[in-house]
Formats: sequence, C-alpha cells, structure tokens
Amino acid sequence: MAHGFVPTLRLMMLWLALVTLAGGARAQLPQPGKNAIAASLVPESRIVVPGKTATLALVMKPKPGWHGYWKNPGDSGIETQIAWTVPAGLTAGPIQYPVPDRLLVAGLMNYVYKGDYAQLIDVAVPAGVAPGTRLPLRATVDYLACTEEVCVPETATVALELEAGSAASPDRARFDQYRAAMPRPLGSPARFELKDGRFRLAIPLPASIALDEPYFFPLTDGALDYSKPQSVSRSGDNLIVETAAPAGAQPLSSVEGVMKLNEDLGLSLTAAPGAVPADGQPLSANASGVTVATVLAALLGAIVGGLLLNIMPCVFPILSLKALSIAKAGGDERSVKREALAYTAGAVLVCLALGAALLALRAGGAAAGWAFQLQDPRVILVLLLLITAVALNLAGLFELPAITAGGRLAERGGIAGAFWTGALAAFVATPCTGPFMGAALGAALVLPAALALAIFAGLGFGLALPFLLLGFIPALRRRLPRPGPWMGRLRRVLSVPMFLTALALAWILGRQAGVDGMALGLAATLFLALALWWVGSRQDRPRAWLPLIPAALAAAAVIAVVPTAATAPQAAPTAALAAEPFSEARLAALQQENRPVFVYFTADWCITCKVNEKGALQSASVEKAFKDKNVAVLVGDWTRGDAAIGRFLASHGRSGVPLYLVYRPGQPVEILPQLLTTGMLISAIAR
Amino acid sequence: MNKKLVAGAAVLLLAAGAFAIPRAITYFDEPDVQLVDLAVGGAAPDFTLADATGRQVSLAQFRGKPVVLEWNNPGCPFVKKQYGSGAMQRAHAAAARDGVVWLSVNSSAPGKQGHMDAEEAREFIAESGARPAAYLLDPQGAVGRTYGARTTPHMFVVDPSGKLAYAGAIDSSGGSDNPAAPVRNHVLAALAEVRAGKAVSVPTSRPFGCSVKYG
Repeated sequence: MAHGFVPTLRLMMLWLALVTLAGGARAQLPQPGKNAIAASLVPESRIVVPGKTATLALVMKPKPGWHGYWKNPGDSGIETQIAWTVPAGLTAGPIQYPVPDRLLVAGLMNYVYKGDYAQLIDVAVPAGVAPGTRLPLRATVDYLACTEEVCVPETATVALELEAGSAASPDRARFDQYRAAMPRPLGSPARFELKDGRFRLAIPLPASIALDEPYFFPLTDGALDYSKPQSVSRSGDNLIVETAAPAGAQPLSSVEGVMKLNEDLGLSLTAAPGAVPADGQPLSANASGVTVATVLAALLGAIVGGLLLNIMPCVFPILSLKALSIAKAGGDERSVKREALAYTAGAVLVCLALGAALLALRAGGAAAGWAFQLQDPRVILVLLLLITAVALNLAGLFELPAITAGGRLAERGGIAGAFWTGALAAFVATPCTGPFMGAALGAALVLPAALALAIFAGLGFGLALPFLLLGFIPALRRRLPRPGPWMGRLRRVLSVPMFLTALALAWILGRQAGVDGMALGLAATLFLALALWWVGSRQDRPRAWLPLIPAALAAAAVIAVVPTAATAPQAAPTAALAAEPFSEARLAALQQENRPVFVYFTADWCITCKVNEKGALQSASVEKAFKDKNVAVLVGDWTRGDAAIGRFLASHGRSGVPLYLVYRPGQPVEILPQLLTTGMLISAIAR
Repeated sequence: MNKKLVAGAAVLLLAAGAFAIPRAITYFDEPDVQLVDLAVGGAAPDFTLADATGRQVSLAQFRGKPVVLEWNNPGCPFVKKQYGSGAMQRAHAAAARDGVVWLSVNSSAPGKQGHMDAEEAREFIAESGARPAAYLLDPQGAVGRTYGARTTPHMFVVDPSGKLAYAGAIDSSGGSDNPAAPVRNHVLAALAEVRAGKAVSVPTSRPFGCSVKYG
C-alpha cells in the first residue's frame, strides 16, 4: 500500500476515511457541520397552559448505519448531555429515554438506537405567566454518534418558541407514538442478588405474559457485565434474569433498569437487594439465534430424549413385550424388518401429529407448550382409560392381539399391529416427555415450522430407535433371551408400573377437574375394567368385543360431562363485577346518569393488578355491595400501552398501572391505594 | 463388531444429548470475543508486545516502578481531544520525569479505525509529540482483551509491586465538554497516591470514549 507518503494526523484521517468509504457508504464520515444524527426539538403543543406541564420531544434521526446511545451506553459511548437556556421560572425535566436496542461489536456491548428515536422532556410552565407571553427555549445537546467502525461526538443547538395560552392544541398522533416507545413502570418491586460473580434479578410478572427475546438493560453501572449473555427463566410469577457480574463488583443498594419483554414492551423497574428464587422453567430460545448447530443439538436432544422415553414406566412394558414378540417371531428376517419400520412410522407420525397440532394452537395465539393436550381433563381421562386397559391386558385379564402378538390378528397383520403399537407408545409417552425434553422441545417451538416438525419427528424416531436396531441387526435379536413361560410372568409384573401410571393420571384428573371429575373418571375406569373382564372371559367366542360397546358409550358420556373449567385460563377477571371497557366518553355518560362509577386500570404484565383482581375485586361481598349501590365498573386494559389510557393515567399523576378510581355523584374522585382490600372497596362506595 | 458399533453409537448419542439440553436459554449469541474483567487489587497480567521501534516490551521488566497503560486509537475523537489539547503529551512528560513507565497500547485490528503498522506508529508519535515510554502494537487485541479494555482512552495503573491499582476513565468529564463541572484526572491522581504509598481513593471509574476496534 501507499508506503511513500508522509501522513500527518490529518492525512491519516483522510486515509482512514477513504478506507472506511471503500468499506461501504454506511461508514461515511459526516461532513463538518452536518451531524450524522440530526437533532430537533418538537413541542407536543406550541401553546402551553401556565401552571401545567408541557412535553417536548428531542427527535433524533441517525443516518443509515449510524446509531445513538441510551442513557447507559453500555461498554463504550457516553450519555447525552443537555444544557438549557430558558426563560426564568421555566424548568426542564430530565431526558426520558425510549426502550433501547443492543448492539454487540467485537465483544463490546452497546445500548443504542439504530433508527429514528425521540426522547421526551417535560417542561413545567410557571403559573404566573400572562397569556400571549412568548417563551423561547434553547438547548445545546452533546451526544455521541457511531457506526460499527467510527464514533463522532456531536453537538446540536436546538430551539423552539412556546406561547402561553389558555388551551393547548396537542400533536396527539405523533406524541402517542413517542410515548408508546417509552418503557412502562413495572409498579411492583423487583429484587436482585450479586453473589459468587453472578448477577441475578427476580421480576414479578404474571406467568401468562408472552416473551420474545427478553433482555435486561441496566441503568445502574457496575451491576452486571454488559457483554455477557443473559439467561432468562421463569419461576412461577417471577421472571429470573441471570448473568455475570463485573469483576470486583461492589455491593449496590439498588439496581435500576429496563426489562425489555418484546419489540413493543419494556418495563422500567427498580430492584432492591433480596433473595432471588432459583432458576425456573427455561424459556424458549430466540429464533434469531438459530444456527445449524442449535438445530442439530435440538434434533439430537430430541432423539436422545425419545430414546430415554423407552425406559419410562408408561412405555417400557409396551415396548419390552413388543421386543419379546419379535424374538418369538423367530427367523423371518423380512417381516421383522417390516414390523420395525411400521413401528417407527407409527411413533414418528403420532409425534408429528401432536407437534403439528401444538404449532397450530400456538399460531392461533394460545400459550400452549408440549404436552398441551394434557391440560385438558378430557384427554387425561382418555389416557387414564387407555392405560388402565393396557395394564389390565398385561395383568392377563384379556388378550389384545396387537400388543402381545399372541392372537390371530397379529399373525395375519403384523405390520398394522406394529404400526399401532408404535403410535400407542408415542401417545402414551407424552406425559413422560416433560422432564427430559423441556429444552429441546422449547427450542422447537420457536424454530420455523418445518424445523420444529423435524425435531418432533426426531422425538418419535428416538422412541422407535431400539426397535429399529433390533429389526435390522440380527446379532442384537440373537442376544434377546429365549421365549418361555417366564414371559407370561414378566408381563404380569410389568402391569404394575402401568397401574401406577394410571394412578398418576387419576391424580392429575383430580387436580384438573376436582373431586367430582376424578370420581366420574374412576367410575368410567371401573366400568371399562368390568367390560374388559367380561371380554376376557368370552375371548374365544365370536363377537367377543361386544361388551365394550356400553363401556365405550359410558366413557364418551363421562368425557362429555367431565368439568373442564378448572383448567380454563383465567377468565375475564372481573366476571363478577360486569365491567365495561373504559373510555372517557362512557365515564362522562355514567356520571351524567348520577351513577357511582368504579374505574380501574390494569395490564397483563402487572402482577399487583392480577393480585387485586383475583382477591378483592372478585369477592362476593364486593359484588353484592356494588350491585346494591348500582355501581358501574369500567376497566381500562393498558397491556398494549393504549395512548388514550396513558393520557388519562398521566392526568391523574400516574405513569403506570394499577390505578383505582371511585367516582361518587357530587363528590371529588377518590384514588384508592394500589393494594386493594374488600373492606376498602365496600367502604369507598358506601361513602 | 456390530455390537460394538451400536454400543458406541448409543454412548455418543447420550453424551451429545447431555449437552443439548441447556438449563436456561441464553438470549443472544455468545460474543465471539470474550473480554476479561480484572479486579483492582489483583495482579496485573504480564504480557509481551512489540513496540513501534520493533523492540519486545513486557510488563514484568518494569517491576518496581509504577506503570500506566493507555489504550490508544489516534482516529478516535476522544483520544484526539486529549492529544489535540496537549493534555496527554503533558501527562507523558510528567510520568517520564517522575519515574513512571507510560505504555500506550493500540489494539485496533488491521482494517479497523486506528490500526497502524510500526512505521505509521512512529510517524504518529513524531507528529503528535507524544512521549510514552513505549507505543505497543496489539493488532490481535490479545492484551486488550486480557485487560478488558473497552474504550479509547481506557486507562490502567499498575503499582510497583505489579498489582492493578486503577482501571477506568482518564478523567471525570464522562466525555462531555461541560465547562461548568470541574474535571479530575483519575490517572494522575492515582499515580500520585501510588507514588506516595497510599491507597488509591478512586480505584475504578467508568471508562468512556470510542469502543476499542477489535477484529
């Protein structure tokens, strides 16, 4: 390269600029006087009302490839500084930052904004300003603009003129958009722990909240190592964030930051030192981090998980008997191979079908996880009946050709028998998948559908693997013990784990559908057992299966009536209070009618709100008191940060939920505390 | 033969599965580069680098004297401010006078902002009037990562016994030009305390500036 030239510092900078220019237009250095991030100051309303607060937006527009920094810039960068020149009496508040993004460059973590962003600033206008007075505001803003290659500290002078008046004319649409990008206050206290080089944070958050690439942006410096990965797990109604603490971390009295849950929602929080629960259920991986390695690892995990399922109490008996039947079948190499393939097909297809159903449910918006089908007591009941039948079969009550391969059916149609055995094994195995497969299947749920299905198929393949090996490796078959009368004894012994599985299912049914549901289920099981006993006693006669018809009808009837309410997701929390959606117009109309109104604001991510809704707001005595007084209930759901609700909250001096308001005819509005009690509600409307 | 194959495959599958099931899922790709965090009070890791004159320089050879490590990138505006005002050159001179070893380290990777070969580094030193004891070239970023150098400038002070006495920003300005706030030079203050045999009153601060342009 140009060895001959003598670079001065300036020449070298020129050279650098040329190098970076060659590397792409996005690394272009800004022209002098033209900032890489343009800054401007915009008022929500040019007319401001004396005695009130006006909001300004510092609008930043980075050129393509450039980024600006959050309040805590991360490993490098600096915080934006703003110096105001304003008329006497006027005071400008701190810069409010929208939820940032992260940018990892060569191992350094930066907290940044890559696209246009707006920082909000509240300005208090003194009460004594005469209407018509012009209020010129000027500010010098120092901030850092960077690409991945270069950084430029920039200075912008921004100015605008406000005018005192009696009525503001706010730029609603634009400022609603700016406010939507701001973090919302969590409301509930979070806790953190700095121990053994780890930073751990517990954030109270209802377990039903969907998360997409959650990340904790710390405002407090020195709490955690910015560049280290964060792992997020769920422990009941707590979100647990864990990452590395910086070396030699000093004790901190509090940690502030923003927990970003997904692209649209960040929660600002302050955490106090305290005990953090152990890591809970891992969350599913983020789709953007998908690599061939993670897919292969998940696939391998699924296959191994499937393999492990073979020794589960609910699967092992089915399986070992199938293996023995193969041993008994003896020499015919081709039919053994065909049976092994049919068994594999059955197992894989059932896993695929369950996986596809799960993906479809999730695509429909349901928060279903693997073994989702087990959340429905009707499915539990079907499994209970099925497992009991298998157990009774193993115990010798009746003969089932497909499973024991002892009957005529199997001799004729060994392949169909093998297929259904595989299908049965896979279906029965799902309750056992949880502990082994959680992570791999969790990963499957966020992969593209085709890859996810491949992982489900891997699970079925792993389940069928021992069989495939037996079918295709004669040497393994020869290692199987010789058939003999001991097989009958083993079969009866193996019925014990099956009965235990049935017991566990009955317990789950009881948990889901209550004592009545469990009793109904056990009655259906007893009925089935009697029918099967009858079947067994007349097995050698024609139409031996007729007694099963009334049993099947009875089971169907039970399935139809078994209560499912216990598992239904938390229904509209205030069903008891007959709430209407909140709007200011509706509130005004109700007040015109001289009705007392109870207004409350909630959000799915607000655990305090949920506690109140499950407690005081749902109590029968509150319902009665409200009915007696003809109280109207309006509920505002702020989960999505509805702008109208946001403004209403702000007008009551709140930046977040919960907020509980009682309007009584002819009296000023009363704001109730954030933690409600039944007595508090009743006395509030009684006044 | 077959049996051994099958058994081997099964063991392999099980072993792979153990790694495939993580405890909790991690929320972004592991950084390809891991920076080490050093605790102040611990031993400053030794290293050997070539300087702008081609001489091999190691930290251990200065045992018995205080050493300053300055992460440098002449293209970074925050570094330019230090050199443009002459503050950094004055600090170099004062260090030389007081028996302090000042080592400037450049960890910019080839093709990244601030990367220089030995000749370019010599020209930079001559041009700027810098007077470090040595200007060290760390194009692989190995020493930068060992020290967890994040920004230019990022400063470290090593006491005569080889322990890390200070890590962080060059001063208390936070990178801003606000003339109202008095600025404390953390490095010079730490050096004065180290030379007086006292505990460093501000042993860490948050480094500011451009990110180190690692490869």
